Amino acid sequence: MALLYGLLWRFLLVVVHVNRALVSWLRVWLRSWKDRLWERAMATFLSLEKLPVHIGLLVAEEEPSYTDIANLVVWCMAVGISYVSVYDNHGIFRKNNSRLLEEIVRQQQDLLGVDGSKYNVEFLSNSSDKHQPTVKVLSPEDGKQSIVQAAQQLCRSVENKERRSKDISVSMLDILLRGTLQCNIPDPELVLKFGPVNSTLGFLPWHIRLTEFISLPSHRNVSYEDMLGALQRYGVCQQRLGQ
Amino acid sequence: MSWIREGELNLLEKISANVLKAGPMPKHVAFIMDGNRRFARKKNMERQEGHMQGFNKLAETLRWCKHLNIPEVTVYAFSIENFKRTKDEVDGLMELAKQKFERLLEERDNLEKHGVCIRVLGDLDMLPLDLQQLIAKAVITTKAHNKCFLNVCFAYTSRYEITNAVREMAWGVEQGLIKASDVSEALLSECLYSNNSPNPDLLIRTSGEVRLSDFLLWQTSHSCLVFQSVLWPEYSFWNLCEAILQYQLNHKSIQKARDLHRDHQALLQLEADRACVAEHLQHHGNGKPADAQRRQEALLHHTACREERVHDFLEALKHKRDSFFNDLCTEGVLA
Repeated sequence: MALLYGLLWRFLLVVVHVNRALVSWLRVWLRSWKDRLWERAMATFLSLEKLPVHIGLLVAEEEPSYTDIANLVVWCMAVGISYVSVYDNHGIFRKNNSRLLEEIVRQQQDLLGVDGSKYNVEFLSNSSDKHQPTVKVLSPEDGKQSIVQAAQQLCRSVENKERRSKDISVSMLDILLRGTLQCNIPDPELVLKFGPVNSTLGFLPWHIRLTEFISLPSHRNVSYEDMLGALQRYGVCQQRLGQ
Repeated sequence: MSWIREGELNLLEKISANVLKAGPMPKHVAFIMDGNRRFARKKNMERQEGHMQGFNKLAETLRWCKHLNIPEVTVYAFSIENFKRTKDEVDGLMELAKQKFERLLEERDNLEKHGVCIRVLGDLDMLPLDLQQLIAKAVITTKAHNKCFLNVCFAYTSRYEITNAVREMAWGVEQGLIKASDVSEALLSECLYSNNSPNPDLLIRTSGEVRLSDFLLWQTSHSCLVFQSVLWPEYSFWNLCEAILQYQLNHKSIQKARDLHRDHQALLQLEADRACVAEHLQHHGNGKPADAQRRQEALLHHTACREERVHDFLEALKHKRDSFFNDLCTEGVLA
């Protein structure tokens, strides 16, 4: 009996996989079939109800593609999003952030022409408080580990009798953890998650309290329309903040 | 309505359950039971009736979980942010909780038969005293049960929980039990309200919202997240099966990511230990460079001491938390 159930389970998984593949194939086919120019023109007319100030791009267990991420970053800036964070749980983008930076600059020139030069690209390592679109490349160390560091800092001040344990509050920790993102960047209001895994994979646990998560199947060959679609879905989300 | 639903699954449900059980099953599922008020509005009922139906659905879901061999469930019952709702609704929810915990105490024999352990995660001090006492009684009564576990997050937010964990560690430092350098990811996890549970494998949020709303942010960093559009009082066995299937599709990749994270964490701990030892040797080494063997010995010694400190601190913390519940319970008896 157990063997039969095992076989049935495997069969079920295959069916789900086939179904997924079919759906994504159909999407690509439909897109190429529709008049893309018309769609693009429509997209500019469709107003976005609200835009996030800070967006996170989370690549979950996919082979990273620098060009596609650079495209996304540039599009985000072009629609008026001020802060873009890029994350993958292997820290690959962080390790190669100069390569990503180069790619972003190149895409900027390609997509926005000379006009693109007004966007400044910055990385987490260079501190700055200029009010310009900013890109942060995040890795797992900015997640739980930064909370641990803040905790250590508070405990050290208790050790040195500068503070009592009772005085430690949520806002105190929040101020320390703002440092992870630097220069008072708000928490990300939206995270676009790319890839087959439905998990945050350690993306800034402290900062995603109210973040909306929208999943897209893959960041590879992602289109401008895909991103606009996700932004429109975000536009209709309502936050009740506990009420 | 009772906390425990008896009854078997029907034939079709039983077959589906067996098929799912042939794959990897989550050991711990967390629920954000969203949509009670929208359900009430949709059905033109009183808001309170919506919350009531939501509770009944929880009892039903626990029965399904039992049949699916899921031993642990955590639910978000009341957030600290929910205190901002109208006084009327907050009072209604507190009254509902009181009724349900009273009911739970009446059902203690049945809970014992099924081995259900109830834990309440959150800051009880924010609740009315009589509810605090009822909760303490329920927690203490079911403490020894070990077949299934239900964690109810009440007066809870994740940021508050993390901050509380930091406060507890700072308390340990004040008491001279640990040093600030002993603070680590593992230690912080042990100081959370959820320290007795493994991290959830699967987090389900109903009613179509796609955010975590300050729930288990730390614990779900490597969990499978499933957002479903159904309203909580309408949740069905098939919705649960769908979510579990999602988990099974994600299982391998998430397991891999978890292993990666664990290895990384071990590496960080080793680095931290090394740094402490290096500092120590520099201060007490009379300027002589330490040879490799002496460094290794010092590292082993340091690690052993740290582990002992952490162990003693966690014992003290456990004692502190247990006596909080015990005191509430005896106060309740005296009153």
